Amino acid sequence: MIKNYFKIAIRNLWRHRGYSVLNIGGLAIGMTAGFLVLLYVGFEMSYDSFHSKADRLYRLSTDIKTPSDKYETPVVDWNILSELESEFPEIEMSTLVMGTDIDVKVGNENYTENRSLAAGAALFQMFDFKLLEGHSKTALSAPLSIVLDKTTAAKYFGDGNAMGKTLKIMDGKYSVTVTGVMDDMPNNSMVKGNIILSISTYTEVIDPTLKDSWANFENLGFVLLNPETDANVLEAKFKPYVEKIHGEQMKSSNMQLAYFLEPIQDIYLYSDRGSTPQITNIYIFSIVGLFILLIAAINFINLTTARSVERAKEVGIRKVIGAQKGQLAFQFLGESLIICLFAFLIAVGLSMLALPYFNELAGKVVATSIFAKPLYILSLLAISVFIAIVAGAYPALVLSSFKAVKVLKGKFSRSSKGILLRKGLVVLQFSISVILIIGTFVIYSQTYFMQHQDLGFSKEQLLILPTNNQNGQEEMQKALASNPDILSMSTSSSVPGGGGEWQTALSVLENNMGQDQSLTLNRFNIDENYIPQFDIKLLAGRNFSKQFASDSTEAMILNEKAIKLLGFADPADAIGKSFEQWDKKGTVIGVIKDFHIQSLQEEIMPLSMVMGSGDNKLLNLKVSTQNLGKTLGFIKKYWQEYFPNKSFDYFFMDAFFNQQYKSEERFASLFLNFALLAIFISCLGLLGLASYSTLQRRREIGIRKILGSSAFGIVHLLSADFLKLVAIAILIASPIAWYGMHSWLQDFAYRIDIPWWIFLVAGILAIGIALVTISFQAIKAAIANPVKSLRTE
Amino acid sequence: MITITDLEKYYATEEVRTIALNKLSFKVKEGEFVAVMGPSGCGKSTLLNILGLLDDPDGGSFVFNGIEVAGFNERKRADLRKHNIGFVFQSFNLIDELTVFENVELPLIYTGVKPAERKVRVDAVLEKMQIMHRRKHFPQQLSGGQQQRVAVARAVVNNPKLILADEPTGNLDSSNGNEVMDLLTELNEAGTTIIMVTHSEHDAKYSHRIIRMLDGQKVTENVLAEFKSV
Ligand SMILES: Nc1ncnc2c1ncn2[C@@H]1O[C@H](COP(=O)(O)OP(=O)(O)OP(=O)(O)O)[C@@H](O)[C@H]1O
Ligand SMILES: [Mg+2]
Repeated sequence: MIKNYFKIAIRNLWRHRGYSVLNIGGLAIGMTAGFLVLLYVGFEMSYDSFHSKADRLYRLSTDIKTPSDKYETPVVDWNILSELESEFPEIEMSTLVMGTDIDVKVGNENYTENRSLAAGAALFQMFDFKLLEGHSKTALSAPLSIVLDKTTAAKYFGDGNAMGKTLKIMDGKYSVTVTGVMDDMPNNSMVKGNIILSISTYTEVIDPTLKDSWANFENLGFVLLNPETDANVLEAKFKPYVEKIHGEQMKSSNMQLAYFLEPIQDIYLYSDRGSTPQITNIYIFSIVGLFILLIAAINFINLTTARSVERAKEVGIRKVIGAQKGQLAFQFLGESLIICLFAFLIAVGLSMLALPYFNELAGKVVATSIFAKPLYILSLLAISVFIAIVAGAYPALVLSSFKAVKVLKGKFSRSSKGILLRKGLVVLQFSISVILIIGTFVIYSQTYFMQHQDLGFSKEQLLILPTNNQNGQEEMQKALASNPDILSMSTSSSVPGGGGEWQTALSVLENNMGQDQSLTLNRFNIDENYIPQFDIKLLAGRNFSKQFASDSTEAMILNEKAIKLLGFADPADAIGKSFEQWDKKGTVIGVIKDFHIQSLQEEIMPLSMVMGSGDNKLLNLKVSTQNLGKTLGFIKKYWQEYFPNKSFDYFFMDAFFNQQYKSEERFASLFLNFALLAIFISCLGLLGLASYSTLQRRREIGIRKILGSSAFGIVHLLSADFLKLVAIAILIASPIAWYGMHSWLQDFAYRIDIPWWIFLVAGILAIGIALVTISFQAIKAAIANPVKSLRTE
Repeated sequence: MITITDLEKYYATEEVRTIALNKLSFKVKEGEFVAVMGPSGCGKSTLLNILGLLDDPDGGSFVFNGIEVAGFNERKRADLRKHNIGFVFQSFNLIDELTVFENVELPLIYTGVKPAERKVRVDAVLEKMQIMHRRKHFPQQLSGGQQQRVAVARAVVNNPKLILADEPTGNLDSSNGNEVMDLLTELNEAGTTIIMVTHSEHDAKYSHRIIRMLDGQKVTENVLAEFKSV
């Protein structure tokens, strides 16, 4: 019996090849998209879950409360971990993890390792990072020890002989010994780097005062709790203890610290400490993936039910011969299953082909192979079976309950229920497509807006050199000044977009009432050339100047935001007011117009600028756009001459700033691709339905033509119905899309208003696409010879 | 074998209520060959559908092999049907996607016959109907007469006690029609009961008895040949 069903199914597929291609193809493409989304979501959900002790690993993070602000930071200071660990037996182990850049010199080769870590000895015992050589307990205990990952070890020393070798780091200042080689850290790990320096290198060698420091927040801190420990209970014990040992310090510095434990597996998804929680994006992509699967499934259901009418005769005959209703239902379900499994196989093939492109699109290696996690393939299989059952259920139930007598008489009508269902599903499909079209428009508009908005400073033609302010910098600057293509030079601690070192400082300033007000300010160290070079507007007062010797110790420039917080309406009123910040004490000498030091996703923060006191690690050059290559070569030559231990490193301000929008751009292009897929699959379905309904009305069309209808009349007749559905879909989709995108935009401090014309354009686009799809069939029918179509009936 | 008494069937459409069968009564003995005749629309096909358990009467009684079957549910009807009744239609009603062999095999599949035995029985029937050489062809590749022979083969492959034929020669030319009638006669002589609807006096002559209908009622009965009960 099964064989018989199988035969019928295959022959049916072959006889209606066109439909089969639309049907199976659409389903397979939809499944492929769904599967890739599944891989993506699965990957995102898997962050830090691969550690065998993941359920006991927590990140310790600090809330810093000052009189004016509250910061929820992901970091801890240098000593709190060891203090807590010795006090609370619930903490089994702990380690600091510092993310940093380390420059490395191997023989005569210089490398800059942007993804370097420093960590404590417990790292390899707490986390499942696999050490290939070296001892997990000791590899990171001694100062001046370094662990390399396999790739980096091979890069430095060739395969397999890195252990025990020495390297020079930090401008050749320190020699470190390779005490371990580890597997490359997994992509879904938050703690990720190519090389790991023992953190005791900092506390024992580089800066022994760190051991006595307090509230110097630089590192992430991780703890491993004992198996029976309840993290909430432990967390509650921190407060009194911290009060006991640091109460005095907190009081005198006007700063309250509170400590929290975040489960390591939740950080990537939910924590908004120093990062954007990813869970929203995951939801969005899950929904988009489901949408596409739904669209594909709807196609399948629609084409199957539409075609089922043709199968009525077969059903009638089988019933006359003795088939039970159940047997027939089983047959149709079986057929649906065969088609879905077929689509599944094609989807597996397509996914294999698409995976590398998808990884590129996602900007990370979501999966190395689609078979890496068999569970996902099985899920896809389960989804196929599910679609098969849902799509097969309708024909199975409806067809199998057809009355044989009526069917064989050709008396059954085109069931109006079936038509209504199909229309409803088409509306649903196009609603989803229109939502995705509108979403794409809004996302692109917002991304464009962010990249083209006036930032309040000029990021063009700026070349930034992270020189680290080493010996020789002044000489090099003198040498560079001779080049006419270098238009200006400045030094600073920081540049917009997160370049250099970023500091926030608790400051005390005189407000408009003449009182001292505490305020936490961003702090840029700059020189007198920075403000003109970056084209930042001065609103009142003056820039720093070499002519005033006191500028380097007693002067501060504030942005508008800062003076507003102090209550000054007119920038000029803020000039001459007193300030205290860290080691500096003096007066405000200038007010600058607000400019964006961060992406437009973030609100502009109060900013203070002080004149650098020797720790400006960035050299900023304004360069002419002409002879850029030559200028770069020129700079490189002097760099190598003055900084022989440092690899030549530079970035352009504009590209660097826009890099902040990388994730938005990626999001936009992923969204665009999925929207296009959704529309494509919807159109496949529409094409199938249109050609089917045209086929069914062949006789009617023939008669109408003989009676004198024009070709246009026929096209209109056939298209009007479908276009009505698309129009309804637009009406349904618009408010939903508006609501969804409106919520999405709330994450951006500076955002577009959703323009009304986006809905119009999306609507016209949807109708246009649908029209082209339908009229392809309609025109064919309209110009066909009516005599032919009547004869074949 | 068949006794119907006061059988009634109505069709209700929006405005008109059609009485398709109006208190129709007659008997058919086992082994008999009965022809049903009458003008178009008098209820012949309706009668045949009820006799074939494809449709339910609205009133009266229908006793089949001593069992009252009026009011049987669909499952029971299907069960009774597949073991006892074969159908032949004017428009052949073969499944286009199946070959000649597979079409004939189908009833055996539904009655649960084993594959090996199915092959033997289908081959035997195809041999008898002289279409063995066409067993791998699809219905569209056959002439009308050949298609009807396949349909007859399919009707008899389960050795039903009753064959219902609705204008079996209606779509055939006279020589093809005669071939089909000869086949039915052979089957009847071998013991199968046959009830055949026809418009052709010529075909009706092959039967033992002609029941003539008008407006859902029996008007006359002509006995053509002596039928000895078996
Ligand atoms: N499904 C139906 N719905 C409504 N009326 C029906 C239906 N089927 C049959 N009828 C009506 O019942 C009556 C008997 O129809 P039936 O098909 O039995 O006639 P028939 O004798 O077989 O005619 P013909 O010789 O043309 O095949 C007719 O008046 C017909 O219009
Ligand atoms: Mg009839």
